[in-house]
Amino acid sequence: MAESVPAPVDPGREPRRRVRAKREDSADESVTRELGQRAVELSRFYGGKIETVPKVPVRSLQDFALWYTPGVAEVSRAIHADPDLSFELTGRWNTIAIVTDGSRVLGLGDIGPEGALPVMEGKALLFRWLGGVDAVPLPIRATSPADIIETVERLAPAFGAINLEDIASPKCFGILEELQKRLPIPVWHDDQLGTAAATIAGLLNALELTHRSVKEVRTVLLGAGAANIATARLLFALGHDPGRLTLVDSRGILHAERSDVDELSVRNPWKYRLALRTNGGGRTGDLSAALEGADVLLAASTPNPNTIRPEHVRSMARSPIVFALANPVPEIWPQVARDAGAAVVATGRSDFPNQVNNSLVFPAVFRGVLDARARSIPDEIVLAAARELARHAADRGLSEEHLLPTMQETEVFPHVAAAVGMAAVKEGIARRRLSHDEFLHRAVTQMGRSRRLVQALNRAHLIPPMPRVPSSRRRER
Amino acid sequence: MTSAASASGDSGPGGSESPSVPIHLRPARTADLPVLVPLLLRLKRLNEEFDPLLRVRDDADAQAREVLQASLKDPKAIVLAAEGVGPDKDKVVGVVHAVLRERPFYTPEVEGVIVDIYLLPLYRRRGVGEYLLKEISAQLKARGAGVVIAEFPAQNEIASRFYAKRGFRAITERHARSL
Repeated sequence: MAESVPAPVDPGREPRRRVRAKREDSADESVTRELGQRAVELSRFYGGKIETVPKVPVRSLQDFALWYTPGVAEVSRAIHADPDLSFELTGRWNTIAIVTDGSRVLGLGDIGPEGALPVMEGKALLFRWLGGVDAVPLPIRATSPADIIETVERLAPAFGAINLEDIASPKCFGILEELQKRLPIPVWHDDQLGTAAATIAGLLNALELTHRSVKEVRTVLLGAGAANIATARLLFALGHDPGRLTLVDSRGILHAERSDVDELSVRNPWKYRLALRTNGGGRTGDLSAALEGADVLLAASTPNPNTIRPEHVRSMARSPIVFALANPVPEIWPQVARDAGAAVVATGRSDFPNQVNNSLVFPAVFRGVLDARARSIPDEIVLAAARELARHAADRGLSEEHLLPTMQETEVFPHVAAAVGMAAVKEGIARRRLSHDEFLHRAVTQMGRSRRLVQALNRAHLIPPMPRVPSSRRRER
Repeated sequence: MTSAASASGDSGPGGSESPSVPIHLRPARTADLPVLVPLLLRLKRLNEEFDPLLRVRDDADAQAREVLQASLKDPKAIVLAAEGVGPDKDKVVGVVHAVLRERPFYTPEVEGVIVDIYLLPLYRRRGVGEYLLKEISAQLKARGAGVVIAEFPAQNEIASRFYAKRGFRAITERHARSL
């Protein structure tokens, strides 16, 4: 899924695997290679991407009698008496951990915790820039779900929320579930929830546009990874009939009597449960069999523009909805899908209309739950974020080219944050119950502050300007 | 080789006393073999998930057929076929396979061993596992067994929990290492 600020091809997200050749791909590859080389140079030049900076005045060393000992002891005593005060008297209210085991990083696979660090730094920068969140990159050397869970649980006292990142499926499901149960703070796994929320937001508007109700549609999910498993759950929460949903993976339609279903019961109980609940008509076979007469196709599989064929789209119901979300190459090119009759098409790319991008979601969600000092992050909150995103796009006028806000519409973020904060209050999980306007104001302030901060550091040359590309490599793009 | 209680479902069946289980149990016949063999293979493939020493052989298909065929003729074995009800009537959705064994050194002198029990996932829960266990236990008892034993992979925790809840405990253990 796309994740980054706009670029022709999101440079942060490399192809999951090498793509069959096409002219576009070789051009993409050369751009990607160039960006990679530049990123290494700049990473070396700046020595990483984030640092901690003070947020209090330090006039002289005398001030440390307040910020540190002896004054700080009283702050500690107060928190000891009421641990929730850590959200008022320390930076915990705005600090999150970006935790990964490095087991499924971008398209690189299992590259270990050190290898994951630059990616987590980049994510921390996005959190800061878009959400005004202090995010600490925390790759950990742990592989078993039990070890990851225990490590995060032990780290939790320092954080107001946890963002799990790039942890392999299916272990990511159990880890998220267990941590959500154990920790008194929100735990989010962006590869599941961020992507699913953005997908749902786009889908709500696509349904609106084609005069459909989520309660009546027949939907096919192509790909049964982290994102689509979460999307299925959110769809059910919205009232989608599980029997009218069919999952398709590399082995075809997932159904209760597929030969690998017992294996799934052991290795991937989440997918197993979907095998039992979904596909009411008892369809078997491949994608074609699943798609016949379907209203909606949500594809989050592997990059290959020939995964979904025009005849697939033609076999769907009238005015079908097609989301082809693989990055960097969608499962079908949007124009091909439109020519085959798709009423609405979305992809993960910013160079086509309707980019389903989890960066539309996570900064605002974290802003909202942090401002509410939320204790958890139930699906109702995820859906509140999706609905608010959808509403914003709708307010500007829905069309088949405008399902979702773009990353340029930054005014959307505080509104999504406020909707999230209000949902936390409504769900009874907010430590701090603000009004909608208060949440909105806080979000605007906090998000705006980040940008002003970076701009000020730029102006003061505390962040040096970017060094030029060596002339030997400079060329026209 | 041993087998698993995969009839129990994710967290064991609820509503155990319900007589309205969605299956019908009957003695298996030779004519059932074409549907029983794949069910038995599903069970063995499930067992494979729990231990590399339970890797299923390439010829397991033929073996399953032979084993079931032998048991169908053996007076000291019981093979039951579980059929669906309603629209699934006449569809075999599960199999129970048990054998009677002498216990030369211990009393009770005859044990009834559930070696294979498998039910398609959609028919699990809803008290079906419990019902299968009761039925096979009753039939084993009627044939002289004084104790009923379930064999399944040690790592199959779902099976362990299922039987533990119904009063089973480990009495002997089989520990293995490759040679």
